[in-house]
Amino acid sequence: MSAVASSARAAPGIGWRDIALAIAPLVLALIVAAVVLGIAGHNPLEVYWLLLKESFGGTKRVAATVAASTPLILTGLATAVAFRTGVFNVGVEGSLLVGGLAAAFVGFTYVDLPAALLLPLALGAAVVAGTLWMLVPAVLKARLDVDEVVTTLMLNFIAVSFTAWLVNGPLLAPGSANSATPMVVEAARLPKLMPPSTLNAGFLIAVALLVLYWLWGRGTALGLETRLAGLNPRFAIASGINVPMLIVKMMLLSGAIGGLAGGIQALGTVNRFVVGFSPGYGFTGIAVALLGRGSAIGIFLAALLFGALATSGATIQLFSDVPIEIVNILQGTVMIFAVARFSWLLKNRRGGK
Amino acid sequence: MALAATMVLASVLGTANAYAEDKPVALIVSQGGLGDQSYNDLAYTGFERALKDTGIEGKPVESKEVVSQATEILRRASDADFGLIVDLEYAHGEPMLEVAKDYPDTKYVILNQVREGANIASVLFQEQEGSYLAGTLAALVTTDTSIKGINPKPVIGVIGGTKSAGIDKFIAGFIQGAKAANPDVMVKVAYSNTFGDPAVGLQMAKAMIEEGADVIYHVAGGTGMGVIQAAKEAGVYAIGVDTDQDGIAPGNVLTSMVKHTDIAVEKVMKDYAADKFPGGQTISLGLKENGVGLSEMKYTKELIPAPILEKVETAKQDILSGKVKVWNVVDQGYPDFMK
Repeated sequence: MSAVASSARAAPGIGWRDIALAIAPLVLALIVAAVVLGIAGHNPLEVYWLLLKESFGGTKRVAATVAASTPLILTGLATAVAFRTGVFNVGVEGSLLVGGLAAAFVGFTYVDLPAALLLPLALGAAVVAGTLWMLVPAVLKARLDVDEVVTTLMLNFIAVSFTAWLVNGPLLAPGSANSATPMVVEAARLPKLMPPSTLNAGFLIAVALLVLYWLWGRGTALGLETRLAGLNPRFAIASGINVPMLIVKMMLLSGAIGGLAGGIQALGTVNRFVVGFSPGYGFTGIAVALLGRGSAIGIFLAALLFGALATSGATIQLFSDVPIEIVNILQGTVMIFAVARFSWLLKNRRGGK
Repeated sequence: MALAATMVLASVLGTANAYAEDKPVALIVSQGGLGDQSYNDLAYTGFERALKDTGIEGKPVESKEVVSQATEILRRASDADFGLIVDLEYAHGEPMLEVAKDYPDTKYVILNQVREGANIASVLFQEQEGSYLAGTLAALVTTDTSIKGINPKPVIGVIGGTKSAGIDKFIAGFIQGAKAANPDVMVKVAYSNTFGDPAVGLQMAKAMIEEGADVIYHVAGGTGMGVIQAAKEAGVYAIGVDTDQDGIAPGNVLTSMVKHTDIAVEKVMKDYAADKFPGGQTISLGLKENGVGLSEMKYTKELIPAPILEKVETAKQDILSGKVKVWNVVDQGYPDFMK
């Protein structure tokens, strides 16, 4: 403990309390899951050691973890961008789905284009689709103050059904008995960083966006305005900030990043759109944003944590009898403790009105 | 130098001692996971039976991200020296091709599709054979007005999820079986163009029922739930597909054309254990292998006169003995009666 405190003193800016608060959800979750593991007859320390080895033991495993984190960095960022303005956007999942399908569509339709054209076009389609998906809830929220939690959540269900219908019918791969589009052509695929791992250039895009987010939050007028609007909308309005317009802008930006997350997943990892495309990246993104406390580095670390659980949770089953449910409990508990901050956020939001 | 020598020695000893069948088996569970009371659970029972009978070690792997982590999971299992990887996830076809190339000593199994590779075995089901029996049963039932809900019109129907050879394989078998039992029976064929919309299935089935159809076979995934619903509402009969769907609307699902995924998994694992892994081959499981067949008809057996059931059994024996050949659209193209 004293080591933590002294290192914190050496680096002012981030206090040890911040660090402790940030990792508290993880520590609490590990304790809770340890109890569950113990009751189920497993040795928690052995299981945790195995999880650690399967997520970070060796370059291949690190690559797998980072690959699994990539969509979560983006959905976490998409959520954080909206949270910052005081908008509780839970619709990133929907943007991700329509973005993924849009990118896949471009990737298997315009097959004659060269990679230099096709890849940006496909990613661009993902961004546009994700943005448009957020347009209605953004306008409803800004103009009529319709609760965005309800509209964006409902739009997720529509996105699930809408994309499923498209890949079951009009966009179904010819001859396929499975609900999937054709594969995107080679030219539309994001380059792999460490073949044969699925880790791809999408990770670099995600990190670049995180850096931009960090710079933007610190040094731009819009960054300050969103912060003010998020903390106290009435004060922001009194200061001459056009809050409704700001809300529309930030929700669209959130949708754009969510769409991009889907596009990267479609062009970098899955190489098509298929039913089951997203295991809920948008929802995990909410936990990532909350656990990361909206900061760039926090989002990165939280995404890495959930990415690690996703990869190692699957592969430890090869080496132990720990069922996936235990890992799901661990992941769920981290989320609950991360979302415990949610009440604080809500209080802020209501109090501001 | 000494290290190199040791390694050579070790590898020689390794090839001498470790037979392929000693290596464990991984079962990659598809979307929906274990506990789905359907495809995955059925396959898992076969997996467990094979482990018990052969004494091989094996692990099932589930993941919410089974689609996006396809190659990562396949590669991890291959790296971890699993000898056989049985994959239930349909979307893993292409990823398996990619991974299998890099691990020539590992063996892979994929279901319901054919993937080329010396170390890949593909399992297909002879769905047309089971569908033939469903057609026979339907044609016999539709004219027997002593059965509750049956009208005198010799009209039955079939609804496919999409117009493709893979689906028409079922439909052709169904028509052939129906015509063989009663040449005058009329089989209405329709395609829903979706596998996921029960509302469409409901509408299409209702339209067929209005035209006199009283037994409707669905080959349309989730859309078929609407077909079963329509049969229940109208008091007529649906025929389920893939898994035993008789319990979805007890008494209104005449039977189901079941694909025994458990038999498939058990068979490839036992072949592997016996060092007879059918790498590079396509295994075809039909009535003979018990790979397909009608459900046990738990809720409808009592409703159907014994002579009809006997005739269905005769039809089955005729297929088994080779007396009747059921048309396979995927291998043979379209038969005259479907052109």
